[in-house]
Amino acid sequence: MNARPSPIRGDLVKLAAVALAGLAAYVVFPNDLGLMTRVVSAAFLVVSLDLITGYAGIATLGQAALFGIGAYAAANANLYGVGEPILMVVVGGLAGAAAGLVFGAVVLRSRGLAQLVLTIALVQLVHEAANKLSDITGGSDGLAGIEAAPVLGMFKFDLYGHTGFVFSLVVLLATLAVLCAIVRSPFGLKLRAIGRDPGRVRTLGAAVMPALLVTFTLSGTVAGMGGAIEAISAGVVGLDGVSFERSAMALVMLVLGGSGSLFGAVFGTAAFMGFEQIVSTANPFHWLIIVGVLLVVVVLFVPRGLSSLGHELKRLIVITGLKAEKR
Amino acid sequence: MDMVIGIGLDALAYGMLLFIISIGLSVMMGLMRVINLAHGAFAMVGGYIASYAIRQLGLPYGIAVPVAVVATVVVALPLEFGLFRRVYGGTDPLKQVLMTIGIAFAVIGIVNAVFGPTIKPIPLPPALHGTVDLLGHTMAVHRLLLIVVGLAIAAGLWLVMEKSDFGVRLRAAVDNADMAAALGIRTDRLYLVTFALAVALAAFGGIAGAELMPIEPTYALRYMVTFLVVVSVGGAGSTVGALAASLLIGLVDTAGRYLFPSYGTFFTYLAVILIVELAPNGLMRRAA
Amino acid sequence: MTALPLAAAGVHLPAPATFPPALAVEGLSKAFGGLTVASGINLTLARGDRVALIGPNGAGKTTFVNLVSGLLSPSAGSISLAGEDITRLSDVQRARRGLVRSFQVSRLFHGLSVREHIELALLQRLKRTNRLFASIGRMADVAHEAAELIERLGLADIADARVDEISYGQQRLTDLAMSLALKPKVLLLDEPAAGVPTRDAGRTLDVVEALPGDIAVLMIEHDMDLVFRFAKRVVVLAAGHVIFAGTPAEIVSDERVRAAYLGAYGREDEPHGR
Repeated sequence: MNARPSPIRGDLVKLAAVALAGLAAYVVFPNDLGLMTRVVSAAFLVVSLDLITGYAGIATLGQAALFGIGAYAAANANLYGVGEPILMVVVGGLAGAAAGLVFGAVVLRSRGLAQLVLTIALVQLVHEAANKLSDITGGSDGLAGIEAAPVLGMFKFDLYGHTGFVFSLVVLLATLAVLCAIVRSPFGLKLRAIGRDPGRVRTLGAAVMPALLVTFTLSGTVAGMGGAIEAISAGVVGLDGVSFERSAMALVMLVLGGSGSLFGAVFGTAAFMGFEQIVSTANPFHWLIIVGVLLVVVVLFVPRGLSSLGHELKRLIVITGLKAEKR
Repeated sequence: MDMVIGIGLDALAYGMLLFIISIGLSVMMGLMRVINLAHGAFAMVGGYIASYAIRQLGLPYGIAVPVAVVATVVVALPLEFGLFRRVYGGTDPLKQVLMTIGIAFAVIGIVNAVFGPTIKPIPLPPALHGTVDLLGHTMAVHRLLLIVVGLAIAAGLWLVMEKSDFGVRLRAAVDNADMAAALGIRTDRLYLVTFALAVALAAFGGIAGAELMPIEPTYALRYMVTFLVVVSVGGAGSTVGALAASLLIGLVDTAGRYLFPSYGTFFTYLAVILIVELAPNGLMRRAA
Repeated sequence: MTALPLAAAGVHLPAPATFPPALAVEGLSKAFGGLTVASGINLTLARGDRVALIGPNGAGKTTFVNLVSGLLSPSAGSISLAGEDITRLSDVQRARRGLVRSFQVSRLFHGLSVREHIELALLQRLKRTNRLFASIGRMADVAHEAAELIERLGLADIADARVDEISYGQQRLTDLAMSLALKPKVLLLDEPAAGVPTRDAGRTLDVVEALPGDIAVLMIEHDMDLVFRFAKRVVVLAAGHVIFAGTPAEIVSDERVRAAYLGAYGREDEPHGR
């Protein structure tokens, strides 16, 4: 108990695990690179949601708006001549950051149901606006013809999606590394505390609202980067990127994986989308039944997500063991 | 001028439909303090059962509607015992959101597996088919009926809330659940009755409004947002607030569709954001 | 019950004129709708003061702490901290000026460890919680001070356990450790020993008694043994009014206090009969 486990080493191990899993998937499923790249870009969305919901404790059903805005920004930058994919990711991140700040400013004034309704209203508003502003979004047809130049002028995007996948994975790993540092920083500690009890944090002398605005901005950056990644690897940006349904699914992936843990979010995304691919090819509505039931079970019985199952089981065994001893 | 009347009548019908479906959600939120994203699913189930009863079983409309309402309540009640009860009160709202959205997903999947993905019409009896002239504007009879029934439900609920013993208990429990329990009000039974009533109204609304909100599997999520907006804007637990919010949303939405058809629901959501920002506790806030 | 004009009990204390009182509350009142929960409360804490606030349930003790710490805004009256009027300041601003409180029902951050709680408070005092990229692990001063507090409060065995997995008494001690980490000038403790096993309650009082002499402490407490051990002065609150202020010795014989407790508890005839 006294030896304090090094959190940084733990993070490095998990980062390495994500990298290895990604490379293993790359080797084992060379024909599913399109799906796997979508998993990676969705992981950005779910991780960004984790910052707001898992860490800051604010439920949102509108996160996809930030993702979509990043995607549209990167796509437009490309159509206006920005070819370098890293620069496109930066553009997506900046657009997402600005959107995240606005989102936070609108949402943070309310609480409870009103707050949830605001998040939904915002994503619907962005969706309707994207539908209407077809000059920059392509409307319901989407924006096509996005062609990123070779990464750093060296790695050309190929038809099979090899470069797309590796590029996405590398950017995800870099983002996760930065976020790990932030989550462990003094700010991250304060953020985790705010997520549990903002009022108590205030009585320690820490202002909550500015910290939450920073978090929304950060979250928007990550979501916007994910949108850019999707624009780059898919070559098209569609309206479904900014939808309530996508926001809700991101929340489901987060909770199944384990909110309040960056790697739980990544795990949840990969597991969810992997199973979805298998089950929904058979019947998409059976998949919905499974997700629904799973969600109810997880929320009621495994509140910290499936990635915590091992830990929870261990605890359960320990607790029952203690009770048995007492008898 | 004709257009204004047209918008007004359509908005009134749509607003009344929103009220019929949302009022149960509002009372549940006010009393049990649960954010229920499965409410739209109950309305949808009502619609499916009614459609099945009329088209497959050949029941007349007047019998199929009450049968479908009761059947929906019967189907939903086990969920109250088994699931909803666990997240009542000041539980983590995220938990409520996720559990109820999970229920909505499962219902969508089940309904699709049983009834298929197509839109299920609910044929109206001949008596409701025609149109009437109202203020120089033709209006479908069933829409007019929707307005009348909506007003009747609003009046009935108001009477129940303000005058009946049940209403007194309910309002006491909304204001202070612990105090109500201490005074010997059986809150669990009260919750059950309220839940049943909320489901029944949702199911009825789903059936009666099938022409405005077609019954198909994604109904549960598609309109859920609108119902939540009504509750949020009206203020949870307030009958008058829910009525005002329903009419307001109905008006904004209908006017937007008439005047700026290419903008879809853009102005509806813009209005929602503005209203929630200006009145975060709802139009009719119950005294704390 | 009428408000008795028992002016600031601080008159008992020979506070030098050059030092403004650590905390001065004047005419503090609060009403919720028609219900008055605080009425014209006067209270002065000098530097290093040790005051107990007692009173029957529902007397308004926690409301008073909420008013002083800024969770509630008063209907009338003023609060000043070391001579500065803080009546209009937010809870955050008050905490930053050294007015720190604990909570009656522990409000800890589930999922965080004991050590992280203490580190958070330390980092906040050191104004470092806006650093996004700094590593807490590399801050030797924080690690040292956290370890020292953990040791002082006897939390070493569970320092890295999550606070939702430790005992209630240990949770209360963690809450206290957070307050101490902020190095308060004025410390408001809301029943720090309530519900805590005797062993930990003793530890709580030991820690409070060992606080630096310049911190002013106001403690809400029901246990009269603790009150007698801790307080130089006792203030009794009933129905939102200060009905008595004096030394612990004086309180036992005071009729008004007896009446207040008798009124509240009916048959019980001891002021601390619980």
